[in-house]
Amino acid sequence: MSSLEFGPRDAARWAARAGLPLPDERLDLVAATARHIHAVVATLRELDLTGVEPTPAGAEVRDAAV
Amino acid sequence: MRPYELTLAGAAAAIAAGELSPAELTDSVLRRADEVAGVLNPYVSLRHEEARRAAERAGRELAAGRGRGPLHGIPLALKDLVDVKGQPTSASSRVRDGHLAAEDSVVAARLAAAGAVLLGKAHTHEFAYGLTTPQTRNAWAADRVAGGSSGGSAVAVAAGAATFAIGTDTGGSIRVPAALNGVVGLKPSHGLVPTRGVTSLSWSLDHVGPLTRTVEDAALVLAALTGQEYAPLPDGDLAGLRVGVPVNHYFDHVTPEVETAVRDAVGRLRDLGAELVDVHIPMTRYVQAVQWGLMVPEASANHERTLRTTPELYGDDVRVLLEAGELFHAGDYLRAQRARTLMRREWVRLFEGVDVVVAPAVPTAAVRAGQESVSWPDGTVESVPDAYVRLSAPANITGLPALTVPVGRDGAGLPLGMQLIGGPGGERTALRAGRAYERTRPDAGSLAPEAGSPPAALAV
Repeated sequence: MSSLEFGPRDAARWAARAGLPLPDERLDLVAATARHIHAVVATLRELDLTGVEPTPAGAEVRDAAV
Repeated sequence: MRPYELTLAGAAAAIAAGELSPAELTDSVLRRADEVAGVLNPYVSLRHEEARRAAERAGRELAAGRGRGPLHGIPLALKDLVDVKGQPTSASSRVRDGHLAAEDSVVAARLAAAGAVLLGKAHTHEFAYGLTTPQTRNAWAADRVAGGSSGGSAVAVAAGAATFAIGTDTGGSIRVPAALNGVVGLKPSHGLVPTRGVTSLSWSLDHVGPLTRTVEDAALVLAALTGQEYAPLPDGDLAGLRVGVPVNHYFDHVTPEVETAVRDAVGRLRDLGAELVDVHIPMTRYVQAVQWGLMVPEASANHERTLRTTPELYGDDVRVLLEAGELFHAGDYLRAQRARTLMRREWVRLFEGVDVVVAPAVPTAAVRAGQESVSWPDGTVESVPDAYVRLSAPANITGLPALTVPVGRDGAGLPLGMQLIGGPGGERTALRAGRAYERTRPDAGSLAPEAGSPPAALAV
C-alpha cells in the first residue's frame, strides 16, 4: 500500500474488515490520519530485520537481575 | 515554612521528629490544593474527608509506635488512570462515566501499605493519549500547557497541592510534564513497577513512576513502589562516573535556552568528578516509527470495545487516533517490535562505555495553550506532541530508566529539565547523578512561585 493511495474508500473497506463502524463523515479524517501514521512507520522497511526477533516486554528487568 | 511547602523528605523528617503530624500536613496540602484549584485545575477529584481520616489514622499508628517508613502520613495525588478500590478511575474521559474500580492497583496498594495519604486523583490527557492535558494549566504560567499526559500530577506537585504524585509514561508522560513544571520525574525500567490496575495506553511502552520535588524524594517513592526498603543515595562527588553526552539527536532542534541550561548541567557533573564521554545515539531515524508502530495498534486494541459502543464520548483528538489505529497492518506492528530489538541492543552496547547519558528532557519550555506546532530555525515544523515525545521516546522503546531533573528557567521564567538515562537496571546510577547535580542548585525542590504566574523579574 502506498500512503498516497490510501483514501476514504480504503478507510471504509479496512474499517469494515476490522469490524469498526465508521460513519461516512469521518472517512476523510481517518484516512488522512492513517496515511500520516503509515508514512512514519514505513521508514522501518529500510531495516534488515533478518533473524531479529521481537523483544519480550520486561526484558530490561530480567537483564538487570542477572 | 508552611507544611505544604515541605519536600517529602522534609515532611517525613518533621513527622519523625514529632514536629508535624500527618493531619497537620494533610490539612495544609488540602488547603493549598483548594487555593490553586480554580486557576490550575490539577485534580479530577479531591477526597477531603477520606484524606483527613487517613491522616488521623496514620498519626495514631505513629503514636502507637507502628511507623511504616518515610511515606507514612505523606499526602499524594494519583494520576486518574490508577485504580483505587471503590473509586472511579475517570482517565479524564467521558467514556469512563460511572466507572468504579473493583480492586486496588498494585501501586495504590503498596502506597497505602507504606502509610501514604491519598488526597485525590489528578488529571491526565484523555486516556494518556496526548502530551498537553488541556484541562490543567501550567503551575508557572496559566496560559501555558501543563504537559502530559501526567499533567495534573506534575502541576499538583509543583504548586504544593500534593507532596508527591504518581504518573505514567508511555512516550514521556512523566518526564515531559515534570520538566515543564520544574519538578523531578522518574520513568523506571520497564516492568520494575507493576502496572496491574493501571489503565493501559500501550502495554509494551507503559511505565509507572513518581513525580516529586527532589531526586531524593523520587528515590523514596520508588522504594515504596517496588516494595523495597529505602537505601539512602550516596552523598559526595561523582568521581568514576562515566557520563555520556550525545553528539546527535538530543541537542538537535532544541531552543538555545534548553541547550545552554543542559550544557551548564553537564559542566556541573564534570565539576563533580564525572568523566564526560561523547556518545552517538543509535537509530534515531527510527525512533518515531518504532514508537508509533508499537503505541498506535496497542492503544486501539486497548479501546476496541468502547470505540465500537460509545465512540462519540472520546475527545476528537483521541478518537481519530484510535480509529486510524484500527487500520494498522500487523506486519508494521511486527516490524516495530523487531526494530525495537535492534534499538535496545544498540543502546545496551552504548552503555558498555558509559554509566549514564545526559540530555535535554524537552526541546522547549511549555508552549502556550492551544499552540499546535513548533518551528525551528532550519524551517522544520513539528507538532507540539511530536516535539515533546521526540527526546523521551527512546527510553520507552528500550525500557531503560530515565530521570528528569530541573535545570533552571528560560527567559520567560519557565522551567527547563534535563534527562539522565540509565543503563539496564540503572535507576540508582541515574538517581545518584541527579542527586549530586541537584545539590549544586540552591533552588532545588522549590515550588512554583505563585499559582499560574511566572516571577515578574524574569519575564521578558
